[in-house]
Amino acid sequence: MFERFTKDARAAVQGAVEVAERERSESIDTRHLVVTLASGAGHVPAALEACGLRPDDVAALARDAVRRGEVLDAEALAAVGIDLDEVSRRADETFGSGALDRAARRGTRRRKHWPFTADARKALELSLREAIRLGDKGIDDRHLLLGVLRSDCPGGRLLEAALHDAGSDVAALRTAAEREARAA
Amino acid sequence: MTEKTLVGAAAGDDPTEGLRAVRALRDLADRLETLQVERARQLGWSWQDVADALGVSKQAVHKKHGRRI
Repeated sequence: MFERFTKDARAAVQGAVEVAERERSESIDTRHLVVTLASGAGHVPAALEACGLRPDDVAALARDAVRRGEVLDAEALAAVGIDLDEVSRRADETFGSGALDRAARRGTRRRKHWPFTADARKALELSLREAIRLGDKGIDDRHLLLGVLRSDCPGGRLLEAALHDAGSDVAALRTAAEREARAA
Repeated sequence: MTEKTLVGAAAGDDPTEGLRAVRALRDLADRLETLQVERARQLGWSWQDVADALGVSKQAVHKKHGRRI
């Protein structure tokens, strides 16, 4: 699949690895990818702008989310009877505000290789399908964005929230990215 | 969360959900361990005290937490 990636798409994935390295993340998820897609030299920044978002703001937002650490799986914890909100509240009482997020960041160790999370791999896979659906030969940064938007992942949720705040939505960004894809 | 879902996930009816729950628990436990060990050290606990409380060797706890606390 990677041999079908364009230069922009490769740069975005490589950039995500570098973001993980700089921020000492445990793994690479779609938030890392959103940082590089929004600040890259590809077509994603224009698509974001078409939806009233400033690419720099989106990159900063994603970077902040990465810094807050890995996301605890609240849904999986709820399934075994653990209320993450309650655990968080009690941890904050003893250790100060945002304790669990802080603990994740401190817990990270230096790595040589950063694995992609399952949802990031899924998003990359979906980007291939988006390229096929649009009849494009190569996978570029717009297809990566569409892949992120299509999978249920932290990066996609972050974009969804940012779009909502800007008075836009995911459908509008998808349309903008597809239009960019056709124009290319 | 209904009783049925809860039992389903906890009992590992579907391995995907069961393993996901185990992973989330481990992640949460790791974070709480980091916070608790750090606090214990600030309160003057020795590495041996911390190790005894966690039920692991002093070497293990020092290796895991020694560098950042």
